[in-house]
Amino acid sequence: MAGLSRLEVLSVSKRFGGRAAIEEVSFSVNEREFVAVLGPSGAGKTTLFRCVAGLLAPDRGKVRVAGLDVSTLRGRERRHIAVVFQQFNLVSRLSAFENVLAGRLGYVASWRGLARRFERADRLLALECLDRVGLLAHAGQRADTLSGGQQQRVAIARALAQEPDIIVADEPVSSLDPTISAEILALLHRICREGVSILCSLHQVHFALQFADRIVGLSQGKVAIDTATADFDREAANRLYGAPAARGVES
Amino acid sequence: MSAARVALDELEKRHRGLTWPRARLWLGVALVVAFYAVSWRLAGVDPAKLATGLPRLGHWLAQAWPPALGELPLFLLRTGETVAMAAIGTTAAVLLAIPAAILASRNITPLPRLYYPMRWLLNALRGIDSFVFALLFVAVVGLGPFAGVLGIALHTWGSAAKFFADHMENVNLGPFEAVRTTGAPRSTAIAYALVPDVLPVFASTSLFWWEFNVRASTVLGVVGAGGIGQELKNSIDLLDFPRLFTIIAIILVVVTALDQFSSWLRKELV
Repeated sequence: MAGLSRLEVLSVSKRFGGRAAIEEVSFSVNEREFVAVLGPSGAGKTTLFRCVAGLLAPDRGKVRVAGLDVSTLRGRERRHIAVVFQQFNLVSRLSAFENVLAGRLGYVASWRGLARRFERADRLLALECLDRVGLLAHAGQRADTLSGGQQQRVAIARALAQEPDIIVADEPVSSLDPTISAEILALLHRICREGVSILCSLHQVHFALQFADRIVGLSQGKVAIDTATADFDREAANRLYGAPAARGVES
Repeated sequence: MSAARVALDELEKRHRGLTWPRARLWLGVALVVAFYAVSWRLAGVDPAKLATGLPRLGHWLAQAWPPALGELPLFLLRTGETVAMAAIGTTAAVLLAIPAAILASRNITPLPRLYYPMRWLLNALRGIDSFVFALLFVAVVGLGPFAGVLGIALHTWGSAAKFFADHMENVNLGPFEAVRTTGAPRSTAIAYALVPDVLPVFASTSLFWWEFNVRASTVLGVVGAGGIGQELKNSIDLLDFPRLFTIIAIILVVVTALDQFSSWLRKELV
């Protein structure tokens, strides 16, 4: 997986009330690369993702996307990083289509967002994004009437509408059943092959093995593992979770 | 003896005798009883008076038939005045309440320094009834429905803004955060992600306040602030019972009709 790195996390640390949530975390995500972040609960995954997404300012270190420092990104520049949340975070009373159009708000004039009036090209792009996630037929449906899996697809379409360099997904399948989870990850994997880098935290090791190109393991706020998926063996899983959880991993 | 048995014995031992929690319970019961005893005296409750006075009410009711329909056009005009007072007052209150509520929501306000002053102002407005405001404004703008409009507007402003603010402080900020990460400016994100969420609730509570204010403003006429209440007061002063009960019947019909209409409309909104 050679190529330019799309995302660089450089010695990022963040403390909450004296306790270090993440410490000196460094890794990078290359172009067209799917990187999974694994680690037990409390390892600092969410803090790391909030720093990467620009929702939280790191105490030390830098996050760079396409060469730009995330903490200095203001307003519209944030469109380079798209975020997919565990709880989908759609505007429940708006249609799937309008939710996807929200992805264009970093491009259009403010009044268009306030009035929810978009140009034809933006509306076409939004429908194309819905088509890519397989929900074109549900465009007019209100978000809160969609199933969990469909809502996450709409959220991914919203991310695509941003035309981002990278999609950052914090436990995107934790609220979904295993079948739907696999479908969502397959979709992210396909999007990755089409040219958008993916950084995705997961709780299930087998999903990481199935979909990721590379695995970064976080343990107690530090990077414990950073390896190609093919090299992630039982010993690596042991190091991350302790012995019992690693049983599913073949060496 | 098993461990569970030991634990049970421990629990039972703790519940025997006069313990502090038990003493506290009895103290609480005694305080509540004392409170009601004092309240009974202060409220001047006297069932005997009711028993001697009740026949008088029956006498009036007997006199009230047939209803005084001759003045129906005037009654309807006055009722219209009451509904209009409530509508204008409530609408003004809601429009004032929206900016006030944004300033009084800790999670959204652009000026955190004004948070507490705003909350205090709203609490003061809410604490003074529209009846009391109307009394003051009759002195300021003279007799008539305008004083009632001002009274309703000020009291409802405080109530509505506090309700809106409490609602916004509990709103799920997830969609707002998500829209912010797309690169949308703050104001756009509020309009796009928060407004669709809170607007139906705002609209339906505004309707509720309108309906509530129609009911409340029937009494505003008593202090000279216009509407049907004024005719009600006149009838009592003249001991004109057919007139009095006709007015009460009209109020009941209008309030019930509005109640039905607004609950139907609220269901449509949410």
